[in-house]
Amino acid sequence: MLTIKLAFRNLFRNTRRTVLTAMLISLSLAALISVDGVMRGMLTLLVDNVTGTIGGDAQIHRVGYRENLDVDLFMENAAEIERTLQRDTSLKSYSPRVISGAMISSSYNVAAGLLYGIDAERERSTSKVAQAVLRGEYLAGGDNELLIGHSLAELLEVDLGDRIVLTLSEATTGELAQALFRISGILNFGMRELDDNFVFINISAARKTLAMTDQQTHEFVLTFLNLEDAENPEHGIFQQFNNTETEALSWLDLNKEISFIIEIMAYSSLMIGAVLFLLASLGVINSIFMSIYERIYEFGVIKAIGTRPSEIVRLILWEALLLALISCVIGMLLGFAVGSWTATNGLGGLGEVEFSGITLGNNILGEFHISQFTTFPFFTVLLTLAAALYPARFAAKIVPSEALQRSL
Amino acid sequence: MNFIIRPCLEALANPATQLRSWLVVLFLCFHSSVTFAAERAIEIIDSMEALYQGTSSSAKMTMIVETPQYRRTMEMQSSSMGTENSFIRILSPRKDRGIATLKLDMEMWNYLPKINKVIKVPPSMMMGSWMGSDFTNDDLVKQTTLTDEYTLTLEETDELYTIILVPKTETVTVWGKIDYVVNKQYMVPVAQNFYDDNGELVRKLEFTDLKEYSGRMIPSRLEMIPMNREGHKTIIIYDDLQFDPPDVDESTFTLRNLRSRF
Amino acid sequence: MLLLKLAFRNIFRQRRRSLLTALSLGGGYILCVFSFSLSEGSYNSAISFFILDHTGHIQIHQDDYLLRPKIHKIIDDPQGLSELLDANDEIISHTLRVFAPAIAYSDTDNAPARVIGVALERERRTSTLAVKISAGVYIDDTLDAEGYYSAMIGAGIANSLNIGLDDELILISQGADGSIANDIYIVRAIVGDRTSPDRATVFLPLIAAQEFLSMVDSVHEISILLQDDGAARSVATSLQEQLPELSVAPWQVVESTFYQSMQTDKQGNVFFMGFIIFIVFIGVLNTVLMSVLERTREFGVLKAIGSRPFKIALMITCETSLLASLSLIAGLLVSVPFTAWFSAVGFELAEPMNIGGIVMSHMTGEMSLYVFATPLLLIIFFAIIISIPAGIRAARISPTEAMRSH
Repeated sequence: MLTIKLAFRNLFRNTRRTVLTAMLISLSLAALISVDGVMRGMLTLLVDNVTGTIGGDAQIHRVGYRENLDVDLFMENAAEIERTLQRDTSLKSYSPRVISGAMISSSYNVAAGLLYGIDAERERSTSKVAQAVLRGEYLAGGDNELLIGHSLAELLEVDLGDRIVLTLSEATTGELAQALFRISGILNFGMRELDDNFVFINISAARKTLAMTDQQTHEFVLTFLNLEDAENPEHGIFQQFNNTETEALSWLDLNKEISFIIEIMAYSSLMIGAVLFLLASLGVINSIFMSIYERIYEFGVIKAIGTRPSEIVRLILWEALLLALISCVIGMLLGFAVGSWTATNGLGGLGEVEFSGITLGNNILGEFHISQFTTFPFFTVLLTLAAALYPARFAAKIVPSEALQRSL
Repeated sequence: MNFIIRPCLEALANPATQLRSWLVVLFLCFHSSVTFAAERAIEIIDSMEALYQGTSSSAKMTMIVETPQYRRTMEMQSSSMGTENSFIRILSPRKDRGIATLKLDMEMWNYLPKINKVIKVPPSMMMGSWMGSDFTNDDLVKQTTLTDEYTLTLEETDELYTIILVPKTETVTVWGKIDYVVNKQYMVPVAQNFYDDNGELVRKLEFTDLKEYSGRMIPSRLEMIPMNREGHKTIIIYDDLQFDPPDVDESTFTLRNLRSRF
Repeated sequence: MLLLKLAFRNIFRQRRRSLLTALSLGGGYILCVFSFSLSEGSYNSAISFFILDHTGHIQIHQDDYLLRPKIHKIIDDPQGLSELLDANDEIISHTLRVFAPAIAYSDTDNAPARVIGVALERERRTSTLAVKISAGVYIDDTLDAEGYYSAMIGAGIANSLNIGLDDELILISQGADGSIANDIYIVRAIVGDRTSPDRATVFLPLIAAQEFLSMVDSVHEISILLQDDGAARSVATSLQEQLPELSVAPWQVVESTFYQSMQTDKQGNVFFMGFIIFIVFIGVLNTVLMSVLERTREFGVLKAIGSRPFKIALMITCETSLLASLSLIAGLLVSVPFTAWFSAVGFELAEPMNIGGIVMSHMTGEMSLYVFATPLLLIIFFAIIISIPAGIRAARISPTEAMRSH
């Protein structure tokens, strides 16, 4: 108890130095918290762009479908698949899709594109199509409703209500099929790949045009309640659907380049944090040394009167601990403040940044995570204590006769 | 090109149709209500279509395609039977000599002599242009049963009939409206205009240069002009046109004929 | 001079303290150098990759072909242009290309394909096409015994059409004059694998592609490789002046989205590193202030005997800068060899990355002036800035008070 009191008092003997040292530690902590928050935000945005837009957390296809998106490689038993999916409680939602390449014609022009037949209501919880509607209405189930990317609409010189003829090959037979639609909504995903090439219609209309039954589907898109489940290859869904007939792939498998980038990002922020703290602790060591030098006469005296070396070490360590705790509190407050600011305002100033083909046009919002306020401070305290060991040892070894010779 | 022109030309060449048209016109003079007009329009088109079933033809044409970058002239020989079957073979330029297109109802094949291959035109190419012209493969193939898929109304002035065709709701087409303009005096087509849903003219097909073929007056020059592409047009000139020629029969419209010597 | 001597001596009065400070500065420097080296290295790898893959340092097109490719936007005197480019010393090599979308047919199947006609020998020297061949041999532009040209096809086409080496390939497209382009070619090589970006491409000899598309002696694109990586913009500007009717673009424009993101990321990195250095310097401030305050008496005496305040402040700045410089020298001694190794050999990747047929087995850094100079300047800058408050403090010492204190 006495030690703690002494430690506390000693800290404030040289307020300016204590303040600077506390600043050093707290700023490092605050920096780490903020940067971690921003990195997490960037990651979330990236993942969200990849999965949230239309990719989903995982997808189920017939084996071989993904190579060329062959319209003939559909799954036969939609009802059975849906029953299995229904039973899985870890899924948030799932939605069937029918997909085909098509020539998209207007009165003015014709362009090649990709047709997605979706279950409008269920898609609301699996993808962002509904939110991407810029003008007009989202699909409501009507047979001739069609949603089109805004840049594609521009190329075809069309707007809401205009007619679109889709020309494609029927599944299995390859016979010519054409169908008439009316533009019911214009979409803006903010992603060129989608805005330039995609049209969406109701799945029933798609199946009709492609001469497919309601049991035939090209793709099931899944979202999980917990994203980690999607990344776990042992999970039930993947066990059940990865067989000779079908394959189930998580968004990580479907976007290999992104997963690589994510690994690198995590690794590098860890490294930076470690080095930063290392450098900061050099400053801490210096600072503690300085505080010892200032009091070297004092140390000489107390050692002379019988204080054991271990008690001196304890004193220094307590000083360091208190300093660390105070700095952590300040650091966490600062980190929280900056984090809150980035969480609400975001790093908008970056404008549109393309990251591996995906435009992060949206704001990167900082994110909080419990580890920022538990693990980081913990390590801060630990490192500060570790830094204090060397000076503490020095203090413990002070020879009273030499120390007493030095005047301040 | 065949889907409207052929029936027009062939029907007009047939004296029976002409007479019937005149009768219809006379009838019109006395009864000018709208319902009658619609029925009459249908009659005109119906009779045009009905009369060439069984009628065959053979023609020699020159097609000129103009774009801001080039002007290409091709000579072709074509045969037809009814609206469903047509056969076109390119005679010049030498590079393309022997390229042939066969259309049977809704299906189309191209024969390319250089690679000695018959290619069925896939759905992905249907909306593409035919031989680089402003006509699409789809134009050639579209079997429009006009009276079934469109609603017709008739307007007239002293010199012209205009038949306005509006597609029914289920009809699969990119056009919002098509109109035929027919010259009353000669009962020949003058123009065919294609509009989008808002009534904007997207492309027009003009018929000019009346000439006599096998005793009939028929426009010898067709010009297809897209409105949204500056400097583009396609011109077709009939150098020769024969009706019910002896050398056109079922065997003309076969895949085998695509490869035959000529 | 005296100032420098004094500063030097003052630093070594408190060896341990100075050493620790120097360590933190040196460590900070090494961290920054590594970070910049890694970032530069990664970006330069990516840039080299696509420059050699197909972009080249500079590209020449007609009009806005780059933005909206249309078959009729042609460069019509490629010979004359080639002579001009061959005579240019800054240009290592260049190649000519023609592009068209087509449908590829085999006996049984068909698939969409992208046709690229290339001047074969020039292409070999200007891009990595020859390296990407996974089966067969790099073709030439001679006709075989039956009068057919050779073709190199992407693995995706080989797979979709079920054809392989020595099989016939039919291409159908639309010529520049509107005619139906159609011809037969013999497959002599397969490029890349089924995941490569080129998997749906058919490479033809330039002359074959020109005949196929009825393009008499004209091309769509000229891609240029320069001696000096960094000269893309300047050479592009001078070429553009010589060729006002064409569009000459450096790779920064051709791959502008990548370039923008890269610039943003690099700026972010500099900012981030600067921030880290700033934090380190808080520790330095602590040290400097401490050293000033423990010499209060000394400064008091100096002022009493007539030293001007400015000189005292200057000495503090000198000390700080000198310490920083010594740290930097130490930092350089460590980081230069390390960076040299890093850029020459680099870290071995756990799994070699295959990007379109080019294999990257190591992550390397960059050895350049930028990498060493930027953190150096940052550190000197901060050293001077940080020394100011301490220097002012020292300069303001009143001699009488100072001499009274301990």
